[in-house]
Amino acid sequence: MKKNLVYIAAIALGTQLLGSCKKELEVNSQGRQTTDTYYKTPAQAFTALVAVYDRFGFQTGGLYDKLAINDVAGGDQVAGGGSATDINDLQVMQTWTLSSTSGPESYIWNRSYTGIYRANVLLAQIDGCGLDAATKTRYIAELKAMRGAFYFDLVWYFKNVPLLKGILPVDSLYSVVQAPPADVYAYAEADLLAAIPNLPQTVSIGSEGGRLTQGGAKAILGKMYLFEKKWQQAADMLKDVNGPNPGVAASSYGYSLLPKFSDLWKPSNKFNSESVVEFVHTSTSNGGWSDAGASEGNLICIISGPRGYSVVKDSVAPDYYSGYSFLMFTKDFATAMYGDPRYGATVANMDSLVATNHAKYNAAAAYGNTGFYLNKYMGHAADVASVSGTKELNFPQDEYEIRLADTYLMEAEALMNAGADVSSAGRAYQLFNAVRNRVGLAPTTVTQANIEHERWMEFAGEGQRFPDLVRWGKAATVLASRGFVAGRNEIFPVPQTELNNTKLEQSKEWGGTK
Amino acid sequence: MKAKLLLHLRALLFFQILFFTATAQNRTLTGTVSSKANGQSLGGATVSVKGTKIATTTDNSGNFTLSIPANARALVVSYIGMTNQEISIPASGSVSVQLEQSTVSKLDEVVVVGYGTQKKSVVTGSISSVRAADLEEQPVVRVEQSLQGRTSGLTIASQSGQPGAAATVRLRGFTTFGTVGKNDPLWVIDGVIVDAGGIGYLNQDDIESIEVLKDGASAAIYGTRAAAGVILITTKKGRPGQLRINYNGWYGTQEPMKKLSLANASQYALLRDSALSAAGKPLAFPNPASYGAGTDWQKAIFNYSAPKTNHEISISGGSDKSTFFTSFGYTNLTGVVASDISKYQRMNYRINTNFKPAKFISFGENLGFEHGKSSGVGETNREFGGVVSSAINLDPITPGIVNDTVKYAAFIPVNPAQWSAATKTGSGQYYGISPYVGQEMKNPLQYIQNHLGNYNWDNNLVGNAYVDISPIKGLVIHSTFGTKMAWYGYESFTPVAYYNTSTSINQSNVTRNDAWLINWNIENTISYNRTLGGHNVTLLGGWGEYKDGNARTATVVYNNTPATTFDQATFNTTVYNALPADRQNSNATDGTDHRVNSLFGRLQYNYQEKYLLQALVRRDGSSRFGGNKKFGYYPSVSVGWVPTLENFFPQNDVLNNLKIRASYGVTGQDLITPDFAFIPVVGAGGQRNYSFGTAGNVNIGYAPNAPANPILAWEQTKSTDVGFDAILFNALTFSFDAYQKTTTGILENPVLPGYAGYGSFAQNLGEMQNKGLEFELGYKRKIGELTLGVNGNVSFYRNKLTKGLLGQAYLDDNSATFQNLGGIARTQIGGPYNQFYGYKYLGIFQTQAEVDGYVGKDGATKLQPKARPGDLKIANLQNDNTIDANDRTYIGNPNPTVSYGLTINLAYKNFDFVAFGSGSGGNQIFQGLRRLDIGTANYLTKYLNAWTPTNTGSKLPRIIDGDPGQSYSRFTDLYLESGNYFKMRTIQIGYTLPKSMTTKWGCQRLRAYFLVENPFTITKYDGFDPEIGISPDAGAGSMFGVDRGTYVPARSFLFGVNVGF
Repeated sequence: MKKNLVYIAAIALGTQLLGSCKKELEVNSQGRQTTDTYYKTPAQAFTALVAVYDRFGFQTGGLYDKLAINDVAGGDQVAGGGSATDINDLQVMQTWTLSSTSGPESYIWNRSYTGIYRANVLLAQIDGCGLDAATKTRYIAELKAMRGAFYFDLVWYFKNVPLLKGILPVDSLYSVVQAPPADVYAYAEADLLAAIPNLPQTVSIGSEGGRLTQGGAKAILGKMYLFEKKWQQAADMLKDVNGPNPGVAASSYGYSLLPKFSDLWKPSNKFNSESVVEFVHTSTSNGGWSDAGASEGNLICIISGPRGYSVVKDSVAPDYYSGYSFLMFTKDFATAMYGDPRYGATVANMDSLVATNHAKYNAAAAYGNTGFYLNKYMGHAADVASVSGTKELNFPQDEYEIRLADTYLMEAEALMNAGADVSSAGRAYQLFNAVRNRVGLAPTTVTQANIEHERWMEFAGEGQRFPDLVRWGKAATVLASRGFVAGRNEIFPVPQTELNNTKLEQSKEWGGTK
Repeated sequence: MKAKLLLHLRALLFFQILFFTATAQNRTLTGTVSSKANGQSLGGATVSVKGTKIATTTDNSGNFTLSIPANARALVVSYIGMTNQEISIPASGSVSVQLEQSTVSKLDEVVVVGYGTQKKSVVTGSISSVRAADLEEQPVVRVEQSLQGRTSGLTIASQSGQPGAAATVRLRGFTTFGTVGKNDPLWVIDGVIVDAGGIGYLNQDDIESIEVLKDGASAAIYGTRAAAGVILITTKKGRPGQLRINYNGWYGTQEPMKKLSLANASQYALLRDSALSAAGKPLAFPNPASYGAGTDWQKAIFNYSAPKTNHEISISGGSDKSTFFTSFGYTNLTGVVASDISKYQRMNYRINTNFKPAKFISFGENLGFEHGKSSGVGETNREFGGVVSSAINLDPITPGIVNDTVKYAAFIPVNPAQWSAATKTGSGQYYGISPYVGQEMKNPLQYIQNHLGNYNWDNNLVGNAYVDISPIKGLVIHSTFGTKMAWYGYESFTPVAYYNTSTSINQSNVTRNDAWLINWNIENTISYNRTLGGHNVTLLGGWGEYKDGNARTATVVYNNTPATTFDQATFNTTVYNALPADRQNSNATDGTDHRVNSLFGRLQYNYQEKYLLQALVRRDGSSRFGGNKKFGYYPSVSVGWVPTLENFFPQNDVLNNLKIRASYGVTGQDLITPDFAFIPVVGAGGQRNYSFGTAGNVNIGYAPNAPANPILAWEQTKSTDVGFDAILFNALTFSFDAYQKTTTGILENPVLPGYAGYGSFAQNLGEMQNKGLEFELGYKRKIGELTLGVNGNVSFYRNKLTKGLLGQAYLDDNSATFQNLGGIARTQIGGPYNQFYGYKYLGIFQTQAEVDGYVGKDGATKLQPKARPGDLKIANLQNDNTIDANDRTYIGNPNPTVSYGLTINLAYKNFDFVAFGSGSGGNQIFQGLRRLDIGTANYLTKYLNAWTPTNTGSKLPRIIDGDPGQSYSRFTDLYLESGNYFKMRTIQIGYTLPKSMTTKWGCQRLRAYFLVENPFTITKYDGFDPEIGISPDAGAGSMFGVDRGTYVPARSFLFGVNVGF
């Protein structure tokens, strides 16, 4: 009996010890959420959606974005800055010395794939978030539209990229291979097509400006069709965006060209009627230098401002905010554009301001200074954030990813290539000349050369020139003097960090096997 | 929790009832113990009944009274420094025991092995011990210092000469990589685990013994946290007998051990001019000689009579029923550099008691409390802004204080009106602002003035309460509750200050930081010991539960208060009622707890102390792991054989005792950052936010940081150790160990392919190996009145990384970077951890023809087109047409491969003498004293002998402004110097007054001594100190041997007394 008691006691004690062990190893996670505990409420679903939009409008803490890369790559602008290595990722786009280890390709790559991952996370979790059916449908549409846009960027810049349709499991991290480009385009198209019917026609710009709309998704898809040279499909898709009477009446989505070109560049003029897809920035995020990429301010505003700027006669001189002298136009471009009605809104001629003694700036400190600054996006003192933190990282000006003038010209180009009527009776002519008419230019004929010229002038400094040159097959000739190598520089190299330890292959253009 | 404690108590009670049996009738035995050599009675000798725990201690007259059971047969009498003696108990009457001076007493020592003690003679692991006797009267303030050079297997290097500064401790090399602290051994004080760096609270004089568990088999009893080795510290306990009062105190002064030979003002002007003229630029200092000696910045901040004081008083005593040891300590140190802001004060209180109300039960506690207050000169081995770095790099032309505003107008701040109050001395003179050397280099006198009053403080309470129940003979149930509670923080005031054109502080602030943490552990063990026919078995079983974790902190900052000095600054808003709320900032942090649950069992067996075996297993569960990986098992086994006890072993006078040991053990590591690495944490904010709409508000975004890694597992270190302990000629002890330890599954956060879209997560990837040899030697001999003792140890170790990260050819982990040289280290797979990595230089170009003739593979391309005679010739290791980053290679090892220590003790009549030194070698030091990114920084005088067209024999390349030939702006082996050194650490002479004299004054012992600390160092290294630990400063990397201008160590001259009542 006594012996039994010992056993019972020992067993009781033993099980108590063992049983309690595991439970006590669960410690308070101090507010940390996990994928198991999060994604349970509509509010949480919204925050996850926000994280995908973050990548949509993302600028790197290295102070650039897609617009800046394309601006320098397009040949009309120099990198500038403070030295030959200042924001080196932009400098190499000017000299075409980018390589798989040095250049902006990792930014494009990581921005898109992080966005795709975040979209896939919410798509996988959305059923548990308790959303009402309409909101859920809309969220899914927004996620797919953005995923499609991310893949469009990836396949256009890199050609050979992995196609991940869901969250990549940890155990297959290193076994991923690249997909045929056609598959990636097809997947992106399907995503956008699936999204379009479920997106709102319009959003309340006060609270939801910047969220994707049907018009926005159609513009992205139309642009992708155009880049794929699917002319008719491009024209059809863009037609809905542009509306039945381009330049005359607002489209069914409410889009119309702003009467005054320069109004496009007023930071307060957010989500105006010409804006189709817009990247949102704000002065209230209190972004700082410890993580400039986390700022919601527009970083292009500070990098494009002139160094050491100060106003001499404040009634006349613009209130530019002293910046870092990046993205200056070349003298050749300024000369070519001079006389165009859009010149003043596009180019800021600093040297003439200095010559007339209206303002001063430190031209000597600007690397490769041309004196012609990017007026569309330069920061203004009046817009400077009222935050106590780092003012220079918190400019509120938004960026156009696609605006109506772009979809007009894209549709005109698609129609022309699809063999549609380009005479003054045709829609292509109407679209094309609506853009010219807005700035007071006389109508002219729709030809490849005229479309090229119009896009060049209209979108100078908006990151359109480089992709345009590439898709028109003109990059090699136009950019030859800068060192562009035909058959290589049309695409970006796959970043070396993606090749290490993985099954990915470098593209043939960059000496690889893919 | 409560329920479990109750259950536990009930269980204890149950065992008591079950096993409580009346012990046999006792009787009382009295006796005396004395020294055979001189007949003096021995107070404090231990008298115990053989085979039992019954023991007492003799009083000061050597008398003892002991209650012994009727079945007791023999007594064992021991005394430090004497041979143990066993005598049979007479049937009646008292006993008189005479002990002989032991030559070698080590075999009878008892060592602490973790959850118990073991006789040294039967220990099968590799354990080094340091006893109180070796440490007493050494003027060390921190425990690491007391271990330095004392035992084999430890590499210890001070991080700074700052008073109270910690040292880097590596036990048998680097076990792992990753977070710096992962390589710090586990410190266990009286059974309480204190985190690394948390041992600073301990008063040296309270330590009874330190045991270093070096091999895996010994350390495995501490399971998951033992991979980097375990150091056990036992504090002093009281002994039954008369009250003992001991006082130990010392006082002395310190001076910097070394002063660098820096250029004076005219030499500086000359060097700058020659650099400028070499570059074809106009001279900056037309008449160098006119500047004279200028400012000696080192002299300005060095203190050659910095005081150092320590007082320690302890009272101990007790009876059969209870004993106590209590002590009070006070330490006050002043740094030799910038003494006004380099101070360390510590107060310690300790109470260790034991109560034994009945034979079968005893309980008590060991409790230490410390209050510390210190102020530091800031970054002590960092080139950005520390006072030492400033003193090295500032030009000697700038005056420390401007006493002539006309003559020295160039050294007054720009726009003095704006800065006047913030840049003047108390007597209204400006501090000199260097117009030549700027950036973070500040006038150190001004820096000192602006940091007056700032201090750090800490309070620590570390201790445990325990109960031992021994219901039957041999069985001990031990239950303990331990805790470490710490409160610490800092108070600082930063005034508006102008240091130079690029460094100024525009807004003052007063800051208070408070942090606290409470760690605790509960451990219960049951052990049973039995000897049957020569078979001695001890079984131990136990469980433990541990909680530790990060501190909770709160920081409050008031900006732009009206105060201008630390003393004026206050947080009282009643004083600052006008201070707007937006100038009052605060923030707080929460730490995540770390929990460990353990079960362990151990078998110790020996047959006639001839065949020895120990086997143990520990199971640890850790809160840092998920799923099925929460628990880890740590088995170990060790065996020993003592052939000298075999009958067949020939009797001889040479080899008196030999023990051969072998062990194998597995230990683990669960230190992972960040917390919750095994679960997919969803992060918020930062690069996840986005704004919608015209309102401009920011929406907070949430997205996972990284996916789950449920297979995240422990790092495992498997150690093998073979060795032997021998006693030769009855005077010489010798120990040898050879070990190999392999760590697998080292946690790293590798760079992931970007297409994954998620962040990096911890994975078990790396493998590392350490191999080493260790020798310890002891010699003790009495020749007439002279006693001679020598103790020495030498350790060799080699470390290599055997596996890095997924196909990567090298590892870049916590590697140091240096200014514009960039990274200076990396780890090659197959090579030692964090080696120096840079260019090799082949010599100095002597002629332009040599430069032009140095061509690449194609035979035509000049490899160093910008070089000129006097520049370094860099090896073209790639054998291509350029010298570029690919030509770098592994050029040196910062880790010492050998460390050694030597102690010599001499005693003659009443005089005693100790000399103790230690050293290390086989490594290189990066001599980075000069700021390379400041071309105008001052030089060591050795650069006066740099290469010039007329001084072509120099080993230093030419000095030229801008360094177009990149002789100094590439990391070459020119920057590496041998790290070999031997440091004499203490020389001490003591005199004990004759007892006949001191007893008249009522004291048992009165000894006075004179001591010199750090009298000299033998080294070729030209910085302050070749002993350079791993700097705790950010960006320093997990590396030994990078000298960015360390705080110079002090040489001290101390006088001390020990008094015993």
